[in-house]
Amino acid sequence: MNKAIIPKVLRWARQKSPWLLHFNTGGCNGCDIEILSLLTPRYDVERFGILKESSPRHADILICTGPVTQQVKPRLQRIYDQMPEPKWVLAVGSCSCSGGIFSGAYNILGGIDKVLPVDMYIAGCPCRPEAIIDGIVKLLGQVK
Amino acid sequence: MDNMNLLGLLFRIFIFPGFFFLLIAALFLHWLDRKLIARFQGRIGPPWYQPLADLVKLFAKEDILPSGTNLFFAALLPLISFASVLTASFYLPIAIQSAPSFQGDFIVLMFLLSLPSLMYFLAGWVTQGVYSVIGGNRSLLQYFSYEVLFLLAMSGTAIASGSWSLADIRLAQIKESPYIFPQIVGFLFSLAGLIGKLKREPYDIPKAKSEVIAGALTEFSGKKLALWYLTIQLQTVVGLSFLIHCFFSGFWQMSTFSGFIVFLLLLVILQGMLSAISAIYARLRIDQLVYLNWYIFIPLTLLHNVYILLK
Repeated sequence: MNKAIIPKVLRWARQKSPWLLHFNTGGCNGCDIEILSLLTPRYDVERFGILKESSPRHADILICTGPVTQQVKPRLQRIYDQMPEPKWVLAVGSCSCSGGIFSGAYNILGGIDKVLPVDMYIAGCPCRPEAIIDGIVKLLGQVK
Repeated sequence: MDNMNLLGLLFRIFIFPGFFFLLIAALFLHWLDRKLIARFQGRIGPPWYQPLADLVKLFAKEDILPSGTNLFFAALLPLISFASVLTASFYLPIAIQSAPSFQGDFIVLMFLLSLPSLMYFLAGWVTQGVYSVIGGNRSLLQYFSYEVLFLLAMSGTAIASGSWSLADIRLAQIKESPYIFPQIVGFLFSLAGLIGKLKREPYDIPKAKSEVIAGALTEFSGKKLALWYLTIQLQTVVGLSFLIHCFFSGFWQMSTFSGFIVFLLLLVILQGMLSAISAIYARLRIDQLVYLNWYIFIPLTLLHNVYILLK
């Protein structure tokens, strides 16, 4: 019986309490403003249990905006390594999905998936807050 | 008969005024706090099971620390602070249950409640992050201003009752009147001291998110972080119960159901006051905090205590 109940409780807890870490990998700041608007009274994601944490060690979901530049790549990897398992990566905006308008530039590697395993892509330039919430909810639906 | 006593003691420690009840109360007050602040800010706020989900999730997460950390102390410090808060709860008549009382348990309780602050500083030191060390140092700096205020303001009740024993303080209030009316100033200042102890706004300098990430807890994750959060939540319940015992006793008779309800009501009202203060005030700078406490609050508290002594 224990074998059935404990994973269910853990799954419930992980779905109900996703803490975000927000990291700009070299974007134009447009998507960052859309992400921060999630915390405002209009969208208030705390009703889903979502908190924005400042330390990678406290976070469950890494939200990246912007394309990955050569300079930020080691830092991005380091931040990802500092997060405790289980962890997920969310690529927000066209740039972090594919490199967007910056792709082909001399200092740009491309999307986040060139460096980290991405679990969910949210397109848009910048993407709407509703789209980000939808992405997080769909990501949590896949949590095992 | 001995068996019955042992069972009663275990029930007391683990279920009713002990661990289980404290845990439920702590989680409920934490939810109430977040919900109230969200409502004050025009948001909807988290559902009632939110603190429980956070706790379960954190306990099930991977536990990693930076290389170079002393793993033994990193594990020991949250355990000591958790244990000291729980021990403090046994000396306090939480939820109108009688507790063992002796001359001087007031001071013991003060000491046990201030241990977590010291452990918090050491935790920042042990985990070796830059932000952790800054946060730990800030907490120690803050400690020297609010702890004196808290002790002085609370000792007004001990002066008025003429005893350092919690039971005597309660009996004196039943005989005369609750100390909240003659000592409203002392109550407000001890509430300010408690806010400093719990590191809530406007005294949240050690864990200021926009300055030092999460203070001394920056490098903690998983089980240890959950234990730290649980310690702070339990400290809220125990600290508020301490205030209720020292200022509001005498509104009810011992060990009655209505007394229990009044206790819970007071707990909720005081938590509401803490939440409102959090929502209203922004964070103080460290020099503003020290100035406020040492130049204004503490002299006023001393005057207040002299007035009580002379009365």
